[in-house]
Amino acid sequence: MSHGFDRLLDSVVRIDVREVTFDEGTRRFDASVGSGVILSDDGLVLTNAHVAGPRAIEVNITLSSLERVEAKLAGWDHWTDLALLKINMEEVRRRHLRFQHAEFGESERLFVGETVYAVGTPEGLTRTVTRGIISNNNRYFEDTAGVDGYETGGFNTWLQTDAAINPGNSGGPLVTEDGRVVGITSRGYLGANNLGFAIPSATARRIVDGLARTGSIERSYIGIVPGALQDLEHFYSLASNTGMLIDNVEAASPAAIAGLRGGDILLSIDGHPVDGRFDEQLPAIQNLIASQPIGRTLQLQYMRGGRVALASVATERLESRIGEEGVLDGWGIGVRKISRAFARKSRLPDDNGVIVIGVQPGFPADVAGLSRGDIITKINQRPIGSLELLKTAQAAYTAKPGPTLLEVQRDRHVSFIVLKP
Amino acid sequence: MQRCFILSAALLISLVSRTAGADLSTLWTERIKCAVAVEYVATTEMERHTTIAYGTVIDSSGTIALPSAAIDLRIPPSQLKDFRVYRPNDPEGTPAEYLGRDALTGWHFVRAAASVRSLLVPVTAFTGAGAPREAGLAEDVWGIALRNKEEEFAPYIMQSHVALIEDLPQRTAIAQQEVAGPGLPVFDRDGRFLGLGASSFGQTYLQFSNVDRGGTPVMLVNVEESSAFVTAAEVLPYLGRIPHNAFGRPLAWLGAYGLEPMDREVGTFLKLNSQSGAVVSEVLEGSPAERAGLKPRDIILAVDGKPLPRFRPERIVVDYIDRLIAARAPGDAMALSVLRGVNRQEIKVVLAEEPELVREAPRRYFDRIGLGVRQFVYGDAAARRVATNDQSGVVAYLVKPNGPADVAGLRTDDWIKEIDGAEVRTFEAASAKLASIEAELLRSEVVVLVSRGGDTAVLRIKLH
Repeated sequence: MSHGFDRLLDSVVRIDVREVTFDEGTRRFDASVGSGVILSDDGLVLTNAHVAGPRAIEVNITLSSLERVEAKLAGWDHWTDLALLKINMEEVRRRHLRFQHAEFGESERLFVGETVYAVGTPEGLTRTVTRGIISNNNRYFEDTAGVDGYETGGFNTWLQTDAAINPGNSGGPLVTEDGRVVGITSRGYLGANNLGFAIPSATARRIVDGLARTGSIERSYIGIVPGALQDLEHFYSLASNTGMLIDNVEAASPAAIAGLRGGDILLSIDGHPVDGRFDEQLPAIQNLIASQPIGRTLQLQYMRGGRVALASVATERLESRIGEEGVLDGWGIGVRKISRAFARKSRLPDDNGVIVIGVQPGFPADVAGLSRGDIITKINQRPIGSLELLKTAQAAYTAKPGPTLLEVQRDRHVSFIVLKP
Repeated sequence: MQRCFILSAALLISLVSRTAGADLSTLWTERIKCAVAVEYVATTEMERHTTIAYGTVIDSSGTIALPSAAIDLRIPPSQLKDFRVYRPNDPEGTPAEYLGRDALTGWHFVRAAASVRSLLVPVTAFTGAGAPREAGLAEDVWGIALRNKEEEFAPYIMQSHVALIEDLPQRTAIAQQEVAGPGLPVFDRDGRFLGLGASSFGQTYLQFSNVDRGGTPVMLVNVEESSAFVTAAEVLPYLGRIPHNAFGRPLAWLGAYGLEPMDREVGTFLKLNSQSGAVVSEVLEGSPAERAGLKPRDIILAVDGKPLPRFRPERIVVDYIDRLIAARAPGDAMALSVLRGVNRQEIKVVLAEEPELVREAPRRYFDRIGLGVRQFVYGDAAARRVATNDQSGVVAYLVKPNGPADVAGLRTDDWIKEIDGAEVRTFEAASAKLASIEAELLRSEVVVLVSRGGDTAVLRIKLH
């Protein structure tokens, strides 16, 4: 193998993560193993968002020298399933540890059939190299709950490879023979043979820059769900390779406010023609919208019933359906803040409140009749605007237990319950 | 106080009549003439489903009352066909007509053909004089049950003792064992009518496996016999509520959605002490409740100045309020005392006619598309949380399995908003459009915009 490949091997790490979950109504700790690749001499490590995320409380990195060092989450983007970790460099210096960093290759230049290697920690087997080819260099799939319940895949296509990918490979690099990183291995079909997928380096590069700078990626959102136009051009009397079908316009979103609706055909964005004939073309269009500054007004030309019209849509910040999570130990519930996206999707009047994601049997919340999926909208008749407010209320309850009134919504049915010590 | 009086009067009568010493087999022979089995067929475009229920004859015109559970309310009356009434030991049966359902009692009414009426005896023949009789605790009671069709609906006697009498919210006597078929009458030892067998009060059994020891047992429910009966006082005054049409219209409507019982702890917290109540989850758009100023999260505490009674379990208060509404007619007033925040408010509602229901919506099936559509009704808008003035499109009530619409991804209850790129505003428009599409034999596809769970999608239905 090449010198570059040897160097690459010295930059691939094993990642051990301990994370906290709240879905049983209490703090539970999970441990998992993934892979990652060191990108710089100052200890930035690229991995998957589903390997290390905001729920991680302890991240340990095993270098190629088999030495283990501590790291911290430096950035996270579930939409592309990428996360950036920062190795504790003080510890590295104190212990005189050494490592290499990898270089990105150009994923756009990959051809189908090209040999690639996956390096990582499948099933905990550190520093495993498997070989395969690029099976497809432009695979599209979106997953609304793909990264621990968070949305993923809408803004990028994927590399598909037949190099063996197993659990634990996640976050490790997919490299060419010269050791250049062309993808970040992220998932495989369970039960299938050698259908593995990686985020292309072209996407990863862009995301890494953003994450290194601010820790997160800001995207613009207007609320349209695209669909491929293939085979429908004739129906809409369109020339081929013109326009993108709007399958859905999310309720109360900027696009809905501007009057767009499902069944419209998007023709251009700020004068740039749009071509969404095939599914594989959709992420690029989504990205074009996402990369606009937040709050900017876009001119969307669209067609409805044979007539062309123009709509001005002001973008807003893209948010996940999944809000902040936490646990209220004294009451025995895990909760998640209602996000704006969740509130709209569920047609709630506002985003006040938290969803119960776990209930611990025998604790006050369970005794009072709360169950998973309930939405707590008010506490002692005050709307729950933040998780903080609820935590403060619980702290007060713990200090001086007394009856506490909750307003709860379950399948659109509102009831009141009293938590008692 | 009044109830005590009725009770003691009833006891007196039973003491008097007992001295007459009627023989049970004589009582039985007379009384099985008021018990019948009713068979009907629920027909859809795809299948016919035969159901048998039990009912009691209530008058000399051959009218029969069936319990609410006898007919699934989601089935439109136009799809209920071939009603037949079978007397005990009668393998032939006689045609009958479906009259509709009464909202207050929940009973469905059926009328047997004239030819058989002389052989039927109404249960009112066995009520005796005076007020309806309520069974006493531990009283020996008996009722009628019928075997199945293969056994020619052979009548058999069931006997038990009254164990408990509760308001659920209808006054219901619960016996130690099964005492009658659901919908069939129960009598005292003197043959006086005591009530009708209640639905969903069959005994339950747990069946444990010999093989899988420690596994989850299977629960078995006896649905053909009931161990409870709704008392005569909840039956006799309502026998005249025979609907004038299959839908049981007029139907009184308040428009308070999702009533939830107020928990006792919550009552204490809100300093309402032992007061019972019901929380209003939503107030439906354009409803009498909205016009009268009822608000979501109001807690209803009293109706017409009478505090809501406390029930066990608490959720029965919701049925209680529903019955108070159903007992009225559109145009009637209803005074609600509600708690809003910390203030009490008096709200006077004038009830209105209930908007068209799903089972009343006109519908039509298109076989070449494999799709049945029906009118989008008020309840559809409420269920989807859309403004009622936004009502357009139609709802898929039937998607033929593996038919063109099914293959294209359409599902039952999808809301079809556009057909071939054009909005369809009414059922008539959609129906005409689909009919003309179906008539174009050379047509290869139809494109529809559907809404499901608040999201829309464009679907292509390929026609063969």
